[in-house]
Amino acid sequence: MLFSFFTNSFTEEFKFQKHDRHLQLNTRSKTNLIPKKLKIEIFQSSLHQEEDEDELRKLLLSDIGELTLSPPSATQVNFVSYFITDFTKPGHDHYIYRHANGLCVVGLAPTHIAFKDQGGITNIDFNVGKSDRSVLKVSGKRKKNAMRSESNTALCKVSTAIDSYIVRCCVKGSLLEVNERLIKQPQLLNSSADREGYIAIIMPRPADWTKNKESLITLEEYKDKKQDGLLEPCLL
Amino acid sequence: MSDEAKPSSGEHKSGLVYEAARSLHSTAVKDLLSLGVCERCIFRLVSVEPFDSDLSSVSASTLRSWLESGDEEDASSSCSRVCIVCLGVLQLVFSDAKQTLVRSECGSDYAARIMDLVKEEGHEFDSFALEVSVPSTIVENERAVLFYLKGKYNSEGWVQSEKISVKDALKVLVLDPLKASLGAKSDSSSFHIRLTYSKASDEAQSASETTKHERKKRKTGEENGSTCMSENSFEKVYEPCILSVHCNKMPIFFSGRYFKYSRNVSQSRWIIDDERMGEASVEEIIGGNILPACFGDSYKFHAAGREDIDVRMLGSGRPFLVEVQNSRKCPSQESLMEIEEKINNSEKKLVGVKDLKFIGSQCWAMMREGEAEKQKQYAALVWISRPLEEKDINSITALKELKILQKTPVRVLHRRSPLERERTIHWMKVEKIKGSSHYFLLHLCTQAGTYIKEFVHGDLGRTSPSMGSILGCRAEIIQLDVTDVKMGDS
Repeated sequence: MLFSFFTNSFTEEFKFQKHDRHLQLNTRSKTNLIPKKLKIEIFQSSLHQEEDEDELRKLLLSDIGELTLSPPSATQVNFVSYFITDFTKPGHDHYIYRHANGLCVVGLAPTHIAFKDQGGITNIDFNVGKSDRSVLKVSGKRKKNAMRSESNTALCKVSTAIDSYIVRCCVKGSLLEVNERLIKQPQLLNSSADREGYIAIIMPRPADWTKNKESLITLEEYKDKKQDGLLEPCLL
Repeated sequence: MSDEAKPSSGEHKSGLVYEAARSLHSTAVKDLLSLGVCERCIFRLVSVEPFDSDLSSVSASTLRSWLESGDEEDASSSCSRVCIVCLGVLQLVFSDAKQTLVRSECGSDYAARIMDLVKEEGHEFDSFALEVSVPSTIVENERAVLFYLKGKYNSEGWVQSEKISVKDALKVLVLDPLKASLGAKSDSSSFHIRLTYSKASDEAQSASETTKHERKKRKTGEENGSTCMSENSFEKVYEPCILSVHCNKMPIFFSGRYFKYSRNVSQSRWIIDDERMGEASVEEIIGGNILPACFGDSYKFHAAGREDIDVRMLGSGRPFLVEVQNSRKCPSQESLMEIEEKINNSEKKLVGVKDLKFIGSQCWAMMREGEAEKQKQYAALVWISRPLEEKDINSITALKELKILQKTPVRVLHRRSPLERERTIHWMKVEKIKGSSHYFLLHLCTQAGTYIKEFVHGDLGRTSPSMGSILGCRAEIIQLDVTDVKMGDS
């Protein structure tokens, strides 16, 4: 549209003259080819546009409240953290982050014994139990073909230089997704097990969750329990 | 008697009807009269001439006297009996909602009754479309009578001609008087008047019990091809039908753009476990103000896309449509302006509206317009785990038409398919914030359907690249605003 071409070049010009409320046309600019009346109209519409943009900026900036040094992470805001310790074997500590919509993200808690091994986790294998969990194809809103798992169903096997450990679902439900990025990048488990290093996403039925919840502990309880261990605040 | 039977000389139309009546096959007419078929149905079934609206002005009793060739004994007795074929529909007799029997002598009389019922609904209209619905028994009974006639009079010319249905015959009788009394044209209008005839309730019950049995008998009757009307081949109805009149106006549409200034207002009504989420909803604020002005039954809110409850909609606003069902009045542009002002000047300032206007059938095209090319602009307040540097700003601004892959975000994964969607970030701009090196305002323009929040925080690594992966640190989104929804040229 003709107008937009002109207004763009105008706003560029006027940005320099913003301090001067009486905006004057720079006669040496390319604008002297345009008839005066049209210049005034374009003037006014670009002013209007400038005003709109100012309004918008004001709105955007006015809403910024206190800027805290370290705001809560998306995980902390949207999920409720649960933990299960010594699940089927001592030292097998897992986290279950449950979203408001019921989905559970499952992974290794920072105190899992796999992290204590020298060099950390070097490999992960999803081919455990009867099938390779990384090849499941869940499709559709109804989550067809999702594997039904019990809380003790094996999810994967993580290996360190010393030993290998079975990671289990901890939650009874449908297995929607496993983090197959871990296959190529197992070091994600060492660097950020609570974010990019999550293991799987499970969808429990409401009734199953209510029962399951009883065997889980909250973040506070977890912190108390593992006071002796090394807990880095940023991981929580 | 013969003097009364002849029409007065001034009535040309009645004269035509009289002539037609006298020309009908007298044996067939007597036959049908004795069976209990009404006068107008006899005209429909026996006449070769098309069923004419002239018949509308002639009363049933007058018709009857013209049809009969002087047999006065039958005249008075059968007038009050319901026709076996049309169940009283063409006799202009019905039971109303209060179970009162309503008889009309002619088309105008009937039209006046209908007009009263239509006026009760309170619609404003200048044209209407008439719809008639009759019970299926009528079709079945008519088939039986026609079969009988074909069997008995198969050599006659009038037997084979196409017969007008009861529905269409009623329309022919009442359409012109109805047009006159309502003062409106009749066309394929957006305002429909539906006349629904249904069988009187006690008959309906017994009918459902015996229907299968009746149908079987009827079938065998047809196979045998009898020349007599067996009693079993049609359903006997003794009471006239119940008539209900419904008026419905096709939905009307209003379009405009809305703004959402609050971070606690959802787009549509959101209730979980009987508790409302958020303070209010855009749908209820806008629709709730338009509906009373239209005196409609209900409304539907359609928007070109949506935003989360905690995301503000600023800038040029988001296009929306409000569909009002069965409106009685169409509000003027002035009243729409008043509604717009009322919403914009409300105490709480949760929602704003602009360009509210009435829109016709092109409304859906407007919404679809530029759907594929729709670009959205946002402003996000982003926090990163390390201080922002100049080179970061440059690297972000340099990214044009950045392709990202987003797995279905966890927060919607429960109700959407698990897919990997490719989206484009057209451009990004960084605006530093005074007094903080960890926070900045990110302006971005993206393809429709991009999840911005997940692009910033990475959604556990399921969106890549993300703000965090581009800058090589952790990134969180504090708040988000939509600053522009581009729709094609507008």
